[in-house]
Amino acid sequence: MAWKFDNPLVSMADDQQNAAARAVWEGESLGGITEDNNRLPVPVVGLLILTIVTSFLVTFPLWGQRPTAALYENYVAEMDSPQAQALPDDVKRMQYIVDTVRAKNPQFANGVSKQALLDRHPLSMDDLRMIQGQMVELQRQGARMEEFTVIGNRLVLANFEGNWRADGTRERVQPWWDKGYTIDVFYIIAFCISVIVVVKRLPPYTWQPKH
Amino acid sequence: MLKYLFAKEEDIPPGTAAIFFGFSSIVWFVLGTGLGSFNAAKLAFPDFVTGIELISFGHMRQVHVLAVILGWISMAFAMTMMYITPALGNTKLWSEKLGVWNCFLWNIGLAFGLFLLWNGVSSGREYSDMPWFIDLVVIFGVLFPLGINVWMTIKNRRTQGIYTTNWFFGAATFMVIVVFLVGNMPEFFNLTGLTEAYLTWWFAHNVLGLWITPVAAAISYYVVPKVTGNPLYSHRIGHLHFWSVVVFYSTPAAHHLMSAPLPEWLKSFASVEGVLILVPAIAFVSNLLLTMHGKWRMFVENVEIKYTITGVLLAIPLNMQGGFQQTRAINWYVHGTGWIVAHAHLALLGFSTFLEAAAVYYGLQVLLRRKVYSLSLSNFHFWMLLIGFSTYWISMTIAGLIQGAGKIYEVPYIDVVIAEHPYMIARWVGGTMVFIGNIVWMYNMWMTARAGTPIPAGRLPHELAYER
Repeated sequence: MAWKFDNPLVSMADDQQNAAARAVWEGESLGGITEDNNRLPVPVVGLLILTIVTSFLVTFPLWGQRPTAALYENYVAEMDSPQAQALPDDVKRMQYIVDTVRAKNPQFANGVSKQALLDRHPLSMDDLRMIQGQMVELQRQGARMEEFTVIGNRLVLANFEGNWRADGTRERVQPWWDKGYTIDVFYIIAFCISVIVVVKRLPPYTWQPKH
Repeated sequence: MLKYLFAKEEDIPPGTAAIFFGFSSIVWFVLGTGLGSFNAAKLAFPDFVTGIELISFGHMRQVHVLAVILGWISMAFAMTMMYITPALGNTKLWSEKLGVWNCFLWNIGLAFGLFLLWNGVSSGREYSDMPWFIDLVVIFGVLFPLGINVWMTIKNRRTQGIYTTNWFFGAATFMVIVVFLVGNMPEFFNLTGLTEAYLTWWFAHNVLGLWITPVAAAISYYVVPKVTGNPLYSHRIGHLHFWSVVVFYSTPAAHHLMSAPLPEWLKSFASVEGVLILVPAIAFVSNLLLTMHGKWRMFVENVEIKYTITGVLLAIPLNMQGGFQQTRAINWYVHGTGWIVAHAHLALLGFSTFLEAAAVYYGLQVLLRRKVYSLSLSNFHFWMLLIGFSTYWISMTIAGLIQGAGKIYEVPYIDVVIAEHPYMIARWVGGTMVFIGNIVWMYNMWMTARAGTPIPAGRLPHELAYER
């Protein structure tokens, strides 16, 4: 089991081992089946690298999240304003609330993240009425609204459990990176190293058996 | 079969166990798809046969699923292992007698288990529906004897090297035993709650990922080089495929529960691993398609290659769906809809079935030393399977997207049911085509055994396919 490290991307086996492997490879019949020693085509290597990068990019928890209560705080605050109440129906009231919130909050008007999230989860006045009472109560308690998820007519504490805070509570906001990804990184590195070692113990791919 | 159960080992002709497994698998395929067709009719036509509890959908669904997985697919695997493992080691099967007993107990145990399921004796856990005592029969009466025969045959081989197919056979028979032992722990030890949910889907995911997918792939590693006469394109890509199956297919179970209150880090971990099932898929598909170099005419002319390469090509949409449908953003939409049913059929009826059918066609001809009775009926079977499966898959995918939209936009449930109706009829038509094709196949293989043209010594069936 000698190892050679002078050119590890060509072969990690010594010349004697490679010669023995070639002799078995060419001389042995595996039930009438033979094998070649081709390398993975370069475009396929590129496809595998793209797959690994994509596996992280498409799985970040940023995608597919439920709306948080914080998104609707400003909406609820405008619900009972005299201007909104003066409007004749719910459709106009909702439109007024959305326009007002956008005008008052530059981060909404600029079409950045919060606005995008709100557009993805449109609400009606009836939806706001269902969560209004719970939201006011949570605000009274000083709750962090970004940690509450809107599920139907309920505001519930997000099930994500993050780092401990100094006051003994835990963060409930999902980060874009968590320890699952860190484990994945180590896992993939270990896999790649192991497979490279396995295939580099074979004769170099520049050699092809004669069948 | 009965006369060989108590015969001496040397009195049992080589290949006997494989032949019994081969015909058993076809019979279970006919039964399983017949049940599937019946169940689909009940979804397409809600007034079809009502009022009898035993033939209600809830009693029959899991009987269909397990008849196909443990009857058709797994017995076809056993058949291929019984003839390919020794062939690749230039040796005999370690014990034909153990193989015959294995087949006998498998049929008895499965029939009893399905009888219990049909009567409502069930664990209530999808894919691991069998009650715990049947699980023990499956582990110790079915999978363990199969594994012993495979491992000992590999150990007693007369070659120095072990071909890629036998790596998969040896490893998969070990891994599936672990999967059954660990995955059924909720029943053995009365585990409940999230632990039960997680282990249920750990089982379901790994039965597919560590049993069905690798063994089906292993079969094609044998059939394509054997029938085309080409060398396998790359031994080293085989390494990449094998180890990436073991590493990346064993870990993403949590991606079946992306909306459950599992730890978020576990979902993140599993979701990345879920996309990485594309690594073995890319290695597998590229290795097999490159092995076909210069022999693509056989994709049209040869029945075994036609089935095998169709299965290999279906691995592409299968893994593209499987890799991405489990991510948070897409799972939110398709979870719990017909999309997933379509995907499961793409895996079991598309990708895997085509590969196994090729191996059963090829193996039975080799073992019986007879050419297939009717090539026309084989081609008819192929097209019934392919058109029937495609009709099923496409219609259920569309139905799933409708259900997803209905779920997200809170459309009244009955409106979704009405919108899905045409697709449920298409599903029934597709499934019934598969069923009819399989009846024809059973007849064709029965007639092959009785009246197929004998194959002279030293020749192989695909060499004589077009000779009279």
